Amino acid sequence: MASEIELIDVTKRYPGTGQPAVDSVSMTIPAGEIVVFVGPSGCGKTTTMRMINRLIEPTSGRITIDGEDTLSLDPDRLRRGIGYAIQQAGLFPHLTVGQNVGMVPGLLGWDKTRSSDRVDEMLDLVGLDPGDFRDRYPRQLSGGQQQRVGVARALAADPPVLLMDEPFGAVDPITRGNLQDELMRLQAELRKTIVFVTHDFGEAVKLGDRIAVLGPQSRILQYDTPEQILANPADDTVAGFIGAGASLKQLTLLRVREVELSKAVTASVTDDPADIRAKLTEAGRGFALLLDDRGRPVSWVHARTPGRPTPVGDSVTLQSTLQDALEAILTEGGAAVVTGSRGEYVGLVEIDTVMSTVRRLREEAGA
Amino acid sequence: MTAAVARQQQRSDRLRLLVQPIAVVVLVCGVLVWAFAQDLDSIEKQSLTASSLLSATWDHLVISFVVTALVLVVAVPLGVVLTRPWARRVAPVFLGIATIGQASPAIGVLVLFFLATGLEGLWAAVLPIAFYTLLPVLRNTMVGLQGVDPALIDAGRGIGMSTGAVLRRIELPLAVPLILAGLRTALVLAVGVATLAVFVNGGGLGLLIDTGYKLARFPVLITGAVLAVGLALLVDWLGAVAETYLGPKGLR
Amino acid sequence: MTFWDFVADRWNRLVGEALLHVSAVVQCTVLAAAIGVGIGIAVHRSPLGSAVATALTSAILTIPSFALLGLLIPVLGLGAPPTVVALVLYGLLPIVRNTIVGLNGVDTSVRDAARGIGMSRAGVLTRVELRLAWPAILAGVRISTQMLMGIAAIAAYARGPGLGVEIFAGLTRAGSANATNQAIAGTLGIVILALLLDGIFALVGRYTVSRGIRGE
Repeated sequence: MASEIELIDVTKRYPGTGQPAVDSVSMTIPAGEIVVFVGPSGCGKTTTMRMINRLIEPTSGRITIDGEDTLSLDPDRLRRGIGYAIQQAGLFPHLTVGQNVGMVPGLLGWDKTRSSDRVDEMLDLVGLDPGDFRDRYPRQLSGGQQQRVGVARALAADPPVLLMDEPFGAVDPITRGNLQDELMRLQAELRKTIVFVTHDFGEAVKLGDRIAVLGPQSRILQYDTPEQILANPADDTVAGFIGAGASLKQLTLLRVREVELSKAVTASVTDDPADIRAKLTEAGRGFALLLDDRGRPVSWVHARTPGRPTPVGDSVTLQSTLQDALEAILTEGGAAVVTGSRGEYVGLVEIDTVMSTVRRLREEAGA
Repeated sequence: MTAAVARQQQRSDRLRLLVQPIAVVVLVCGVLVWAFAQDLDSIEKQSLTASSLLSATWDHLVISFVVTALVLVVAVPLGVVLTRPWARRVAPVFLGIATIGQASPAIGVLVLFFLATGLEGLWAAVLPIAFYTLLPVLRNTMVGLQGVDPALIDAGRGIGMSTGAVLRRIELPLAVPLILAGLRTALVLAVGVATLAVFVNGGGLGLLIDTGYKLARFPVLITGAVLAVGLALLVDWLGAVAETYLGPKGLR
Repeated sequence: MTFWDFVADRWNRLVGEALLHVSAVVQCTVLAAAIGVGIGIAVHRSPLGSAVATALTSAILTIPSFALLGLLIPVLGLGAPPTVVALVLYGLLPIVRNTIVGLNGVDTSVRDAARGIGMSRAGVLTRVELRLAWPAILAGVRISTQMLMGIAAIAAYARGPGLGVEIFAGLTRAGSANATNQAIAGTLGIVILALLLDGIFALVGRYTVSRGIRGE
């Protein structure tokens, strides 16, 4: 279940200011896709997102969800039908995890049993054991766990649309990586329409089906797939912001063996799923790479579903160009598997590695 | 507040929670035993009967609790109203009036109210004392509501709660600890000022103090004063217990 | 007689009472500050001492002032002695508490640094710790003064000096021509004096708190 969102000439002007905060934005957010708004802080990306659920009322213009004008609906009702997750989760500290997640079903008038079943289902979905977490208070959770509960709360009433405002902005990089992986796993299953705001272009590339690079007053500088934006930045501003441009082309000149590879958690295809899960928990990671008896990569498994592996798609070799690696990353999501001369696993190239290489090349060219 | 200072505050709170009720029992029992062991003359005997002590204490408690109830009913809604965005401009005016109310001498407020209205008895005591004790609850309600993280209000609105629901289910519960602290302060103030109710014929333990002083019967004066001290310590202790156990669990 | 005629008529007497009121409060506050800061310094290094002092002062603060005054009359008689003792005792409480809070709030690294550059213990206390705790101590003194202004009014009951005399006179002569005027003059006078003193404290704070730690 997903809905198409359309913004038509949406403008926000605060009284007493000369320039509008958001100036005449028009765009279509296709049903079932993750669209990432990315841009420097203060560019109006959050304002634009908050106009979709009318936490901020547009000064002029129209926003429709599945063709229905949001301005024609009661704002509270509208918001109950749109999931909302924010930085630092915004969990209510005086309510338990279960009460937080069950808030929207409660507002929608679901009966107690249905609500509480849904709470358990949602906690399970985001990887928290309901029996263990339902009755805890937010301050008893780690930052990453709080974010998971925040996502569970946003999804609790099964809304077709999800708005996420830098939801992973306040956690450490490893946890953030895991949460991103988790969101992609959830999205593969749920196919919601997700509007995701971030200032981190790496995060945008990793998560987005499409990326809207926004400039001042939320002007859309480029709205396209990550591949297209990386390969053909619309102008120097976009190129500057994504740190790519001409230097991206140089990726064809660099080999995978020239960059630092990172390590995946690995296991053998014959290993017991419970052992794999224990290994992942210990490492604090979400995915493990399964290798066959000759050390060749076969499939990925997630800690939550160790019995259901997904096959490794594109992989690259140490001789591949970084351009190839980037393409593999964009199809695989987050990282590409690197194999050695006999097809054996040697490491991973992650999107962050590629992005920092691009940045370095750019700085060297400028210097 | 630094962590060290907060820790120390906690320690001293725990100490009071433990020692204060013991002090109350010792004080009250001590003074009663002492007073009745004295060689009392007929006037003293008349003032120091179980029923007269009980009725004075009862009057005192009634004044204190009616004041607190009145303050609760007036100050909390007023604090809610004054923190709404549309009332921000008038908030300083009300806070200013309440501040002057508390800066003025309690006895002056009490006497002026009596002279202006001619009222005597319970309400002559309750109304001016309530005005005098309004500020702590009003200020704490406002500070408590203003202290709620705006991100939580945003989250509440964002998931579809109405402004009323956000106030009722998020803002007020989160402000409860501060409101309770304000109520405790108000209650203790009320018990203290209620000793002055005797000047407007409101009764209470001040009556014993005043009688003992005017008739130079010190056992009566001392019994009244010590009972008032015991009552104040007891009420403060009850307030501390309420603060400890009534606040939202997730915040403790 | 209107209120203003009354004030004009009794001007000299009212000014005399106002001066007595302020001087009683100020002298008692100074005495309370000297004792209170001393107690604060004495106990602040010991966690148990601090906890006991804080608990005791907060508990005493809950005692009704009229009850305390009543308890002092049999012991000290009437007039200045019970007034001074009651005022100093109440004045102590916010000062002790704030002195302890202020001194404990001094960053350990600052204290270590002062010791490290060779200051004596007394030097650390007078030149570093008390300087940094001063805003808190001053705030305590300010709270004390405000509180004592009101309590001093009740002291008139025990024949203490000050504007409380007018309030009690108004009460006992309820119904007579100037009763209300007297009560208003006493109450209003105390409010005005309290605000004036508070303003003076704000100025003192401005000129005595180091600019490095002023919250501006």
